[in-house]
Amino acid sequence: MIGEFEYVLITAAAGIGENAYGAAIREEIESATGRRCSIGALYTTIERLEKKGLLKTWMGEATPQRGGRSKRMVRVTPKGVQAAKGFYDAVIRVSRKASWATNRSGSGL
Amino acid sequence: MTIAGWSVVEAVARLLEPEEREAVLGDLTEASEGAWQALVDVLGLVVRKQVTVWSSWRPWLASFGLALPGSLLLMGFSLSVSQAYQRLIAPALLTSTGLRLGPGFTLLLCNIALLIGWSWTGGFVMGSVSRRTVRASAVLSFLPCLFCLERFRVESISRLCLLIFLPPAIWGVRRGLQLAQIKLRSALLLAVGITAMTIPTWDNRGSWIPNWALSWPAWYLVATAARGRISLGGKHWQTN
Repeated sequence: MIGEFEYVLITAAAGIGENAYGAAIREEIESATGRRCSIGALYTTIERLEKKGLLKTWMGEATPQRGGRSKRMVRVTPKGVQAAKGFYDAVIRVSRKASWATNRSGSGL
Repeated sequence: MTIAGWSVVEAVARLLEPEEREAVLGDLTEASEGAWQALVDVLGLVVRKQVTVWSSWRPWLASFGLALPGSLLLMGFSLSVSQAYQRLIAPALLTSTGLRLGPGFTLLLCNIALLIGWSWTGGFVMGSVSRRTVRASAVLSFLPCLFCLERFRVESISRLCLLIFLPPAIWGVRRGLQLAQIKLRSALLLAVGITAMTIPTWDNRGSWIPNWALSWPAWYLVATAARGRISLGGKHWQTN
């Protein structure tokens, strides 16, 4: 099973969709979690996930706002979708009897 | 710390692979990070990547199992070959009576071939086993060279003779970086040839350890070539 940060990264990349690249994923993670995401954690995780076949990366276009440097584009593979879904299902299953999860579903009803 | 700071960031980022460097520096520019924070980020990535790379056995084998002991032993052997050359060939070349070659000549030729073989195979394995840490392996190879060059005190022979092994070793490293393995037939030829050339020293117990410390890369090439052939054969079998 993938780790917590791996799940967060895959989910952020999947949420952004076709325009997912390093800086955009980092911004998405930081705004969603409220925590700083280091470049080191981001890129080593992207590389690890690519080796596992959960992500595919390639060099994209260069833009003036990046100082003319290219983006590293990221796409979640079908295997990555399965892995993230497996992690999500496990979190839902393990949280079923937790007070915060039951209260949440209760308030939703 | 602005322009100077970013120069430092770009210098540190050179430790990353070109595409990754491009993406990371672009991300930092886009996020309008300060130079200090950017430096911390890039250093963090470099350290994380190095930790990941060095968590494998391969860089340790290339650096401490091959580069460091190999360069020490090959320097000693380079010196031995140079001294034999000086003793056997140089006087004959200097005399106007012509070249008279004694029985030691064949052994000298054999040792020159062995030096080239050991250096090339050692370099090849160093380059192919751990490409990402080849710079660290190179530093570990050169450190003993610098140490010995500094302390070399034989007047009759140039200290550069210690480094005769370097050209074939560098050639081997370059080939190792280009190719992961060589053909099984070539690898076998090299390994058998190198082992056969060590036969004259087999009666000397003291030479067993250095011989095998320098010969194992040749047999490692045989093992990797054989494994590559088997996996290729397996793929053929699966597709058929």
